[in-house]
Amino acid sequence: MRNFIFFIRRFFNLILFLGLEITCIVLIQRTGTMQGNDIISSANAVSGLVYKKQSDVVYYFGLRRMNDSLLRENANLRKMISGYSSIDTLADSVGIVDIPATDSTRHIVRFSDYIYRTARVINNSTNATDNYITLNRGSDDGIGRNMAVISGTGVVGRVEHVSRHFSSVLSVLSGKQKVSARLKDGTNGLVIWEGGNASTLVMVDVPQQVVVKKGDSVVTSSYSLYFPPGVLIGTVIKAEQVKKNTLQRIYIKSSTDFSRLQYVYVVENKMSKEKNTLESQNTEGKK
Amino acid sequence: MNVYIRNILRFCVLVLLQVLILNKIVLRWWAEPTGFPVFVPYIYPLFLFLLPFETPVWAMLFCGFALGISVDTFTNTAGMHAFATVLIAYLRTNVLTALLPRNLSEYSGLQPSTRNMGWSPFLVYTGFLLLLHHLVFFSIELWNLTNLGHLLLKTFASTVTSLLFVVAYLLLFTRQDNARV
Repeated sequence: MRNFIFFIRRFFNLILFLGLEITCIVLIQRTGTMQGNDIISSANAVSGLVYKKQSDVVYYFGLRRMNDSLLRENANLRKMISGYSSIDTLADSVGIVDIPATDSTRHIVRFSDYIYRTARVINNSTNATDNYITLNRGSDDGIGRNMAVISGTGVVGRVEHVSRHFSSVLSVLSGKQKVSARLKDGTNGLVIWEGGNASTLVMVDVPQQVVVKKGDSVVTSSYSLYFPPGVLIGTVIKAEQVKKNTLQRIYIKSSTDFSRLQYVYVVENKMSKEKNTLESQNTEGKK
Repeated sequence: MNVYIRNILRFCVLVLLQVLILNKIVLRWWAEPTGFPVFVPYIYPLFLFLLPFETPVWAMLFCGFALGISVDTFTNTAGMHAFATVLIAYLRTNVLTALLPRNLSEYSGLQPSTRNMGWSPFLVYTGFLLLLHHLVFFSIELWNLTNLGHLLLKTFASTVTSLLFVVAYLLLFTRQDNARV
């Protein structure tokens, strides 16, 4: 027993050192799996508050740019609305197209519903390996884990940690996140970020026969678990053949300027839970 | 000023400086050659370097852990910074013993500084530990060795820049005169 105590006292520092390092390794491990660690993230009360205070000050410098982007978004939305109304007037002359009344599509219209909530970006990074964005809304405002985050110009990321008043979002600029994407001709694939430049994304494993032009738009596909379909991801810069196999890689310029995010929309998919339960039954069946 | 209050203040100042200002600037060394890694200068380990000479190792370790975890909280990298800071906190005493001419116990009541150690030993001490911190942190962050050149380039460029920021901090916030102990 005495020897044991001597041993502890002699190597106390080393033991403490190893203990702390192991704690760190455990923490790092746990961030790899998506659960837990809400306390050690920028969603916690203290760091959220600090970031909010900073954002309150810096906010005013970007008002002009934000105003421009909102105007542009409004213009786009107006264009879309005018498109719908022109169809409606056509429909008037041809006959009655009353979607809610037709029974077969009714619950699709009612339930495939996304709730959009606005949030302000209070912290943002583009230079880490996995980039995070902190928003000034949390569970009190109805934000939940795994909701999609988009901006007026395109995809942004997915909510990973939530506290009462803040949430932190894993941005698309991360090795941990793949976005299910669709090209103009309907080809589906995955868009990833490979580090480096904050505006270049890559769509991998696209079949060789697919032809893309520079400037083609890439949007989220309807396979995505989180994102609503049809949200712009970016435009094609170039396609590159992979020598090893018959696939090609498509480089995409992201439409969102990640370094200048100010307002985003958090999108809640009301159907995602049901979809997930249904799809998890499929995998259970295989076991 | 009391040594405890001074160090707690320095802790807050350095963490906030790191998190609110330095983490926001994206640096590419010189202009923008393509393929050159993007990096951030990390100066918050300076808090550990400036703790008094006679701080026992266990206290250093706890300080290192607290420092790392605070920065981790802000950057969403649970444990990564803490791992690196605990390592340099553990090695600090050994580096100081190797660099200083006299026994550490003879420096009671003093803290490592350019005034007490002279510029070049202090820069060697800071530079070595910063290099170690950056190397460990970037290795964990990237977590693959396939791109070793990229990792080393990033570490080197980042360390040099951090060291410049450390020197700037020292010139701004510590008293400079020629008296050496």
